[in-house]
Amino acid sequence: MAFIHAAKLAALLGLFSVPAVWGSYAAYELGLYLVYGMVGQGIALCWGRAGFLPLGQALFFGIGAYLAGGALTTFGSGWLVLLPMLVAAILIPALLASLVGALVFERQVGSGPYFSLITLALAMLGFQLANSMEWLTGGFNGLSGIPDLLPGVDRFDGLYYVIVGFLGMTTFGLGYLLRTPFGQLLLAISQNEMRLQLFGFRTGVLKACTFAVSAGVAGLAGALYAPHQGIVTPQAVGFLLSAEFVIWTAVGGRAGLAGPVLGAVAIGFLASGLRDTLPYWEAIVALVFIGVVLQWPTGIAGMIQSGWQLWGPDSRHQPAPMRDIALPMPPRRRTPVLQFEDVTVKVGSATILENLSVSIEPRSINCVIGPNGAGKTSALNAMTGSLPITSGHIRWGQRRLQGLRPYAVSALRVGRKLQVPSIFSGMTIGQNLDIALWANRIGLLERLTMTPYRWRTSVLSALEDRFPFLRDGFRMSGELSVGQRQMLDFALTVASEPELVLLDEPCAGLSVEETGRMTEAISELIAELDATGIVIEHDIDVVERLSDRVHVLHQGQLLASGTMAEIRQDPHVQAVYAGGSKV
Amino acid sequence: MPAEIADEGTFRVRIEDGRHVDLLGTYVLNQLYITAILVLVVLGLAVVFGWLGVMNMAHGEFVMLGAYCAYMVQEAGWHPLLSLPLAVVVTGTVGLAVEGSIIRHLYRRPFDTFLATWGLALLLREGVEVIFGRGYKSVDQVLPGTVDVLGIPYPAYRLVLFSAVVLAFVGLFLFYRASTLGARIKAMVTNPVLAEAVGINTTRLAQWTFVFGVSTAGLAGALLAPLVRVEPFMGLDYLLSSFFVLIVGGLGTLEGLLIGSAVIGGVDTVASAILDKSAGYIAVLTVSIFFLWLRPHGLYSRR
Amino acid sequence: MNRRDALQLTLAAGLLSGISPQILGSIARAATPLKIGVLIPMSGPGGLFGPSCRNCTEMAIDEINAMGGILGRRVEPEFADVGGPPSDATQAAVKLWKGQNVEAFIGMHDSAVRRALTDLFRGQVPYVYTPVYEGGECSAGTYVLGETPTQQLEPVIPWLAAERNVRQWYLIGNDYNWPRDTNAVAKGYIAAAGGSVVGEEYLPFTVDNFDSNLAKIKQTGADAVLVTLVGGASVGFNRAFASFGLSGGVLRLGTLIEENTLAGIGADNSANLYASAGYFANIGTEAAKAFRNAYAARFGADAAVLNSLGESCYEGLKFLHALAERAGSLSTDDTDQVADGTVFEGPRGRATMNDRHVSKDIYLAEADGVEFRVIKTFMSVGAGRNCG
Repeated sequence: MAFIHAAKLAALLGLFSVPAVWGSYAAYELGLYLVYGMVGQGIALCWGRAGFLPLGQALFFGIGAYLAGGALTTFGSGWLVLLPMLVAAILIPALLASLVGALVFERQVGSGPYFSLITLALAMLGFQLANSMEWLTGGFNGLSGIPDLLPGVDRFDGLYYVIVGFLGMTTFGLGYLLRTPFGQLLLAISQNEMRLQLFGFRTGVLKACTFAVSAGVAGLAGALYAPHQGIVTPQAVGFLLSAEFVIWTAVGGRAGLAGPVLGAVAIGFLASGLRDTLPYWEAIVALVFIGVVLQWPTGIAGMIQSGWQLWGPDSRHQPAPMRDIALPMPPRRRTPVLQFEDVTVKVGSATILENLSVSIEPRSINCVIGPNGAGKTSALNAMTGSLPITSGHIRWGQRRLQGLRPYAVSALRVGRKLQVPSIFSGMTIGQNLDIALWANRIGLLERLTMTPYRWRTSVLSALEDRFPFLRDGFRMSGELSVGQRQMLDFALTVASEPELVLLDEPCAGLSVEETGRMTEAISELIAELDATGIVIEHDIDVVERLSDRVHVLHQGQLLASGTMAEIRQDPHVQAVYAGGSKV
Repeated sequence: MPAEIADEGTFRVRIEDGRHVDLLGTYVLNQLYITAILVLVVLGLAVVFGWLGVMNMAHGEFVMLGAYCAYMVQEAGWHPLLSLPLAVVVTGTVGLAVEGSIIRHLYRRPFDTFLATWGLALLLREGVEVIFGRGYKSVDQVLPGTVDVLGIPYPAYRLVLFSAVVLAFVGLFLFYRASTLGARIKAMVTNPVLAEAVGINTTRLAQWTFVFGVSTAGLAGALLAPLVRVEPFMGLDYLLSSFFVLIVGGLGTLEGLLIGSAVIGGVDTVASAILDKSAGYIAVLTVSIFFLWLRPHGLYSRR
Repeated sequence: MNRRDALQLTLAAGLLSGISPQILGSIARAATPLKIGVLIPMSGPGGLFGPSCRNCTEMAIDEINAMGGILGRRVEPEFADVGGPPSDATQAAVKLWKGQNVEAFIGMHDSAVRRALTDLFRGQVPYVYTPVYEGGECSAGTYVLGETPTQQLEPVIPWLAAERNVRQWYLIGNDYNWPRDTNAVAKGYIAAAGGSVVGEEYLPFTVDNFDSNLAKIKQTGADAVLVTLVGGASVGFNRAFASFGLSGGVLRLGTLIEENTLAGIGADNSANLYASAGYFANIGTEAAKAFRNAYAARFGADAAVLNSLGESCYEGLKFLHALAERAGSLSTDDTDQVADGTVFEGPRGRATMNDRHVSKDIYLAEADGVEFRVIKTFMSVGAGRNCG
């Protein structure tokens, strides 16, 4: 730890000493690049961490710049103006971004290009408006003659220290945010957003908040840019600056907070030095950028880091987290009955489920069998908000499950393991388990504290006893074998302590020995949770050992329900399975 | 302005020297023309983005390359028609090189193609700037003068361009319906392994699809060169309007392409006529944002 | 921040220390030669004026150095591209001023950039602004050589009304202060000449489709268009104007259409096109002829075409020379004291500064193919009221 603090201090001291050592003009130039780097830090938060790319960040930068420029030219510089000005320059962009984010992310799951294109189009719209609203923005001429940030804080002199100070604040602030559970949830979004929703996290809101933070940082940077440049023109809102922010971030490295600053500073100084002497410098930047995209996604920062690891200590080894706060099991409601009433699902002209009616008794383990295409997985999808039903009802006690989003279904204490093991493969086993423990449990403010990392539950302990590899918290989950991934996925589902456990082929791909362990674990843990279980399974031995009741689906309809013995005798089932493929 | 026109009772406005100008007619011709231009420019991107899933941010730069080909032909003193094959050859060659060196590695990584082609756009702009400088180049009109269309004088070259686009579009439409090419490309995009197994050479198919896309962009540039300012940054305008057309029209069909072009061109024309040019831009952007948000698959899509 | 970020920050700081000595070095090199910042557009809409400005500047610098430099110091030009938006231009100017220790500026760029620069310089460094502009600039340390709208339009609009019988004017320009202010002045002269304004429009710089504008010009029945579009936009507009067959019946007057723009417009599209300026490449005075011959001898036949904007850079350096010698220093306190009455000689003839502006002869020229033919000369037109 001492080393890290020393490094931070050295970086800060290095920055503070630039004017004295290299002269005030160099510091003035550097100040601008640090301001740009600050915007890049916000982009790194969204893109490098949460996986969605905001392409119009200059919009927020420009709003901050116009607000600050307008405030300073109208009211003059002074302490009384400074604080409200900064607050407005941070909050107004943040509010706008949260609105845009909420509207877009709530409609569209995933991090496809549409969000990026919307932000890009918004920046272009901002550019047009800044040009045409001359009464407000000064139009094409912009706002010029902007006074210094504070009396005595000259742009060629004192302002640099202010910028370094604010950069320190954003670096430490965002750095803290990245380490909190909130930051870890963002990482999970970029890995597997749908899975995170199945743990009850409203990912759209999380992403909108992240976008708002990045916009606030951009607005703050804009507020510093205005007195630094003394002029704000529509280009500060534009499309080209937005794209440059992204390029600097990508080249510098989007994984951390130092990378974007590094990128902005390095490209800034190279451009300033080469622009007049070397006519092709921009072509060189373009080539470097293409190279980064193709070969070095971690950018300069990543290269420095891997270079460092060849010589220095491996920084990945950190002390193990202490799970020393034992949480009680949440109070159990009287686990209700799950009922499908005449559920029909049609997709296009295909009928997936047809008038499916079945009732699942509380605290029983129900196995669902049937040939491929019978509608087993679709039935689960209809329950967890990923498949809209055409008619009928799915009732979980008093509540209806249909029409809910996946996170809302999860909040009703329904847990689901998907057919293909679905884990956060770029995260460690420990981080995966964190997410499951936080599901439907972590409060809004707790997401910003470090305490939830220390949580432990009795279910987790039971899981660790069953599957000892879960104790290897620092192992990357992507390195696990197929069988272990199944076990981890199962463990995550159960560790979120649902009252209705939906397991889709938990034993697929497991060896005979592993299947045995898994089967025992399923019955033990569902009993410990006092939950209802629904298990889709092909392996008839597993079904035999696990099931209280068995339901046979065929062509989207319920063929039979009963104990395993009853099912074996059922003439309909025998007719379907004549030729004896599975049963 | 429509209000003003309506007040006149007829859609005719008197001009001092006694000539009559059918304003509505001019607007209709302009709308048809702008739709045709958009179709011409967007076609290549529709192929590359719609079929291959490559968000080619350098699309506008291929249009620019085509326009510079027309300029080179003029400077060399060759016949203007030679600019068309030259544009196809130049942009096709660049496209082949780009596909082989950059795009090929990124077919399954949409975000990265987005960024890499953005870098490519920078590179092409800078390359052209190094060779030709930043200044505006002017390409002479092949057919100066106007032709009367129902009594409205309209630039002759535009009419020729419009007819050529209509013919080419109809031809393409019929060809696409009759051939299996579209089906093979779709097969490749949805399941490359299976497509490979049924004997489709996906590497080559993707390669030529990309080359086709960018060389139509080059062709568009050569055709447009006499009408616009030719400069290294000209591609940017085409890129953005192309994406907006695809977003509004939806991906993957020629019908959608036509509808998107008509909507984007129409919104621009109407807003520019009623208010001013900036209002046209703002209206197009606003429409596009709403489509991106509410109907990202567009008005007309087979998805 | 974790250990990784901390490492990166340390290394970032280290990297900085590697770059900075170069910058320091360039500052330290500032020695005895007098550096003059020459701010001209090499990109953007005004980019096509850049090459001729650069040539004319080099000619003037060589002549001044041959005569012993300014204040006994050898003059070195430091060029910067200010063709972009004002914010980029101020960055370029700050780099020359604070980074390279430039001691005076010549500027040939748009008015948006000029406003940003006067706000930046605040009279701390002499700044000679040379091109056509809208009038009214009176900042300390700032000296203006270009034509004002008063000079370009006061005699020309009545003359066109009388000789070419135009009444209905349509005003079209790019969307910034020069076109807007020019048109505000123009309206007065149009009304005084018995005409009326039937339309007024301002377009973004990037526009390249003029369909809706041309339709409006047709609709309003205008018989004259005052064009205050710049560079590429002007080229595009004038080409489209002619291709729609409007050039036969509607006269065009440009206050910023010089030889480069005309070349871009092309001979096919230049019928009935007029321009008003203080200089054209082929005006017949002895000084102008000598300048034209020297330019051709030095840069050859393929050089950027000579025009009023390029030539204004030459005038700007000649003026700065005269001003500095008269004041005995380049401190703006001294130059402001003696600016009025400073006399300098250029291709436009002998000129005297008054009220930070210059009176001059104004030429009205008609396009003949891709050349201008002067059809009327208005002698010694005043710049109008600009200060106070």
